[in-house]
Amino acid sequence: MAGAGWKSSGRWHGLHEDTVATIIGLAVLALALALTWIARPADDPGSRATWPKGWPTPLAKTIDKPQTWSESLDAAFHDRKGNSIALPIVLGGGWVVAVAAAGAVLGGRSVGRMLPGSVVLVLLAGLAYLLASQKVIHFYNLEYPLWALMIGILIGNVVGVPAWLGQSLAGEFFIKTGLVIFGAEVLFGRLLELGVPGLLTSWVVTPIVLVVTFWCGVHLLKIPSKSLCMVISADMSVCGVSAAIATGAACRAKKEELSLAIGLSLVFTVLMMVAMPPLIDWIGLDPIVGGAWLGGTIDATGAVVAAGESLGKEAGEVAATVKMIQNSMIGIIAFTVAVYWSGWVDRSTGPREGSLVAEAWKRFPRFILGFLTASLVCSWLFSLSPAHALWIDGTTTGFTSRLRGWLFCTGFVCMGLQTNFRELAPVVASGRPLLLYVGGQCLNLVLTLAMASLTFGWLFKKVVEP
Amino acid sequence: MRVSPPVRLGLVMTAIGIVWGIVLPRLGRFPVIVRHVAAMESREVNPAAMYYTELDRLPVRSAWIEDRLILWP
Repeated sequence: MAGAGWKSSGRWHGLHEDTVATIIGLAVLALALALTWIARPADDPGSRATWPKGWPTPLAKTIDKPQTWSESLDAAFHDRKGNSIALPIVLGGGWVVAVAAAGAVLGGRSVGRMLPGSVVLVLLAGLAYLLASQKVIHFYNLEYPLWALMIGILIGNVVGVPAWLGQSLAGEFFIKTGLVIFGAEVLFGRLLELGVPGLLTSWVVTPIVLVVTFWCGVHLLKIPSKSLCMVISADMSVCGVSAAIATGAACRAKKEELSLAIGLSLVFTVLMMVAMPPLIDWIGLDPIVGGAWLGGTIDATGAVVAAGESLGKEAGEVAATVKMIQNSMIGIIAFTVAVYWSGWVDRSTGPREGSLVAEAWKRFPRFILGFLTASLVCSWLFSLSPAHALWIDGTTTGFTSRLRGWLFCTGFVCMGLQTNFRELAPVVASGRPLLLYVGGQCLNLVLTLAMASLTFGWLFKKVVEP
Repeated sequence: MRVSPPVRLGLVMTAIGIVWGIVLPRLGRFPVIVRHVAAMESREVNPAAMYYTELDRLPVRSAWIEDRLILWP
């Protein structure tokens, strides 16, 4: 799915797109870690109570996004204390333009020709953020990818994409760079947060649902595109949009397929967020089991917390922690999908040239190695001491997660501008992607409820004496 | 009748302006939505978080969980 401004091999005149994304992503991460370390607090550097979201990073002042608003747009540019955040929002867009410019330099392209289009893309991403932060939209979890895609699709279909803008359409590059930076948030230590019951719920059910749903999509529903089956299976079984982005990049899904999977995920996330808490109340589930069920089944993290909190504090905490454990599986799943795709799926579509390993390596999406490197290094640092854990948390919550959001948002605008739904129309009209999502989610609901009841409700539940 | 691209863009932007400027704010005054938003705001929940690092409070295991569950048998 090469963009209009990219050669079909993904290579410009300079370095390969994956290499450029990896270099820029890791360089930005190293800069963020270094600056957060230099500005580390002198008092209580290892205290989670003092620094609940990690050490404050100086880079937090250089990036933000519009806040929730309802009647007046002015509220979007002020934080909860009433301070203006217009400058950090503008600088947030500036980071994306800087990444695009660095990508152009390393890729051997003209920065001057890329720059005007990049600025317009960032403005459109800012508009998508603004639409997503409207109060009703925000609190019903219709996330920014939906609006970024919609803006891109509307502009692409209503006025078309002018040539000067087409040269800047590097959606894949933005998403790959965002994914490398995102690696810092995928921490293996988080997997152990809820001990054996958490591991069993996430590590047994999630892979089973992913593999069974993918198999059913390919063999039972006979959906022609394996990558569409994989993206739908991953976003439904792991954690929604972020899993769709990671696996979509790992299996080289088409833009239209990723858009469709994200659309399905967002719609069902809203439905499940609203419907599941009353259902859990009605059947009288233990709040811990109910929370684990929510965490294992609702796609998006924010919606999991919203649904869990409406059942109570305990359910909310368990739901959020189970979802966080699932979140932390993204790295392993994306890597496994990349290996499977380059070694087996892509191999079956063309003649073999050379050894299996050499051929698989040639097709392997190299930026996944950058993503894994970021994840492994940050997981190692996170495990060293409580202070180191707060260092990583501060860097990710204060800076890298925001930059990754801007990069994804800009990437989605590019994807929307290039989306051609006519290609997917026959598959969508058949209703099979919807059937795959619903069938997979039903399996997910049943297996997760069974496993949560078994682990959280029975095997590992402490008997409390009255 | 063929409508020129700038006019089509203007129509789309107007439609977006009407939905976000008039329809959604009015929808936000419905009691059921007001209750949902107020509940989320009072608990500092960010339902639009895509990943746990975007939550207002990072999920950290509370002490009560260890009183209720055997984490490492």
